[in-house]
Amino acid sequence: MTPLHFEELYQAEWRELETLLDRILGRRKVTKDGAPVEGQRVAVLYRRACEHLALARARSYPAYLLDQLERLTSDAHQVIYQRREFGLLKVKRFLTEEFPRSVRAHSTYVWVAAALLYVPMFVIGWLVYERPELILSVVSAETAASYERMYSDSATAIGRAAEGDWMMFGYYISHNIGIAFQCYAGGLFAGIGTLFYLLYNGASMGAVGGYLTERGHSATFYSFVVTHSAFELTAIVLSGAAGLKIGHALVAPGRLSRVQSLVAATRDSAVIVSGAAAMLLIAAAIEAFWSSASWLPHPVKFAVAGACWLGMLSYLTLQGRNAD
Amino acid sequence: MLDTVVAAETPEGIILELHPAGLPARFYAFVLDWLIRLVILYGCAIVARFLGGIGVAFWIVLLFLLEWFYPIAFELGRSGATPGKKAFGLKVVMDNGLPVTPAASFTRNLLRAADFLPFGYGFAIVSMLLRQDCKRLGDIGAATLVVHQAQAAPRVTLQQVEPVAPVRPIPPRDQAALVALAARAPTLTGERLNELAAIAASVSGDQGHAGSAVTHRVLGVAQWLMGRRT
Repeated sequence: MTPLHFEELYQAEWRELETLLDRILGRRKVTKDGAPVEGQRVAVLYRRACEHLALARARSYPAYLLDQLERLTSDAHQVIYQRREFGLLKVKRFLTEEFPRSVRAHSTYVWVAAALLYVPMFVIGWLVYERPELILSVVSAETAASYERMYSDSATAIGRAAEGDWMMFGYYISHNIGIAFQCYAGGLFAGIGTLFYLLYNGASMGAVGGYLTERGHSATFYSFVVTHSAFELTAIVLSGAAGLKIGHALVAPGRLSRVQSLVAATRDSAVIVSGAAAMLLIAAAIEAFWSSASWLPHPVKFAVAGACWLGMLSYLTLQGRNAD
Repeated sequence: MLDTVVAAETPEGIILELHPAGLPARFYAFVLDWLIRLVILYGCAIVARFLGGIGVAFWIVLLFLLEWFYPIAFELGRSGATPGKKAFGLKVVMDNGLPVTPAASFTRNLLRAADFLPFGYGFAIVSMLLRQDCKRLGDIGAATLVVHQAQAAPRVTLQQVEPVAPVRPIPPRDQAALVALAARAPTLTGERLNELAAIAASVSGDQGHAGSAVTHRVLGVAQWLMGRRT
């Protein structure tokens, strides 16, 4: 069969497939009659086009024919194997089962990550509380002073550097949230990045907390941080756990190659990390709308914070356990 | 190999050729995306200033969303690419040529935090320059690939030349080469075309000769091979 004959014979099918793909991909306006695209027809035409491409390659047909078929098959391939997983049902399943179960399945990593964050936080916090001059070995004198101003009782909006300086406030929040993703991504460096970020951030948070407690701003400071930290700190721990998993997969890949092991660990960690990302979004909203509101009395904030912490911990430990 | 083609086999048994996008193309796409985000943030900052405290709070949440979820939202959309990538004809696919999955899009964008390091996307640039498939660290972990989208190639029409029957049997590879030559003929200078046609002159019984008449007959053989008889 000559190329021209081949083309003439099958061109109608290719045209039909191309028209259907154009409609699916929105490259062409739907015609007036607006009949829905028949999925089965696309699949049949796609398999035919695959056969034609294989034939055309084997017979060394001219490049323009191969080009046309390659483009057609790769477009159809993308359409046919597209995975749409955004249904509400999917979200519900994720929240009620997948996420908390995945956290429990990786409980060793979670405990290690929690220890790496909280142990230095409390140790350094206690040290700075006992000897406040130690804060100067963590931050400069001006920064320490600005922390004190931010959380002093007279501040109109707590946690904010100055009125109108909200660009910086936004920066701080997105920076804090970035810490969680850094803890995750640090796993790519054989887990050392995760270790570093967890220890470092635990230590620096502890230092600031210990310093402000010693200076007598504990009420303002803790009422500010305690609510959103239920989500933010837990998300940092969970991201750290996912990072540790990736690091572990790289250091000890077992019977897989290092890249295979990395890809498998990353795929596994996606559930935990997307849950953590959702928690960070909640944390950002709380930090922006609730924590910085200075008109709320402290007892209210502490009560809500207690409920948040209790809810978060029981969600992670209890939710979906029947399906385990 | 100079070609940076990644072959992916489909369940239907055909090989899809993926063309990974290199550093420059991805850099332009990144800059465009960055500018788009900057414009949105600045526009919203002006609005937020008028709204006061509540506007600021919304702006902060928007900052977070744009920084981390802007690429994810677009990659999972219909085109599989952010506006910047789309503008430069790039898209994100899985290693095996399949559309990117939600989990992979999520992880490749969150692992960006490792690509930032030590500064200015240093690790991403080094990784992309070292690897033949131009993956940054996030792409390696999530098993994704940024590829050039196939462009609609213009249909090549062979110059109308009288078909000439070949004087000897021509093996398939040579047939393909002859047809390819005929397809390229309009883009070549006359002299170069004559040179190339002289190499294939034996198919029309003109071995040892060269010139536009020989070229004409060689191109005629190509027409004949394509299937034209008159």
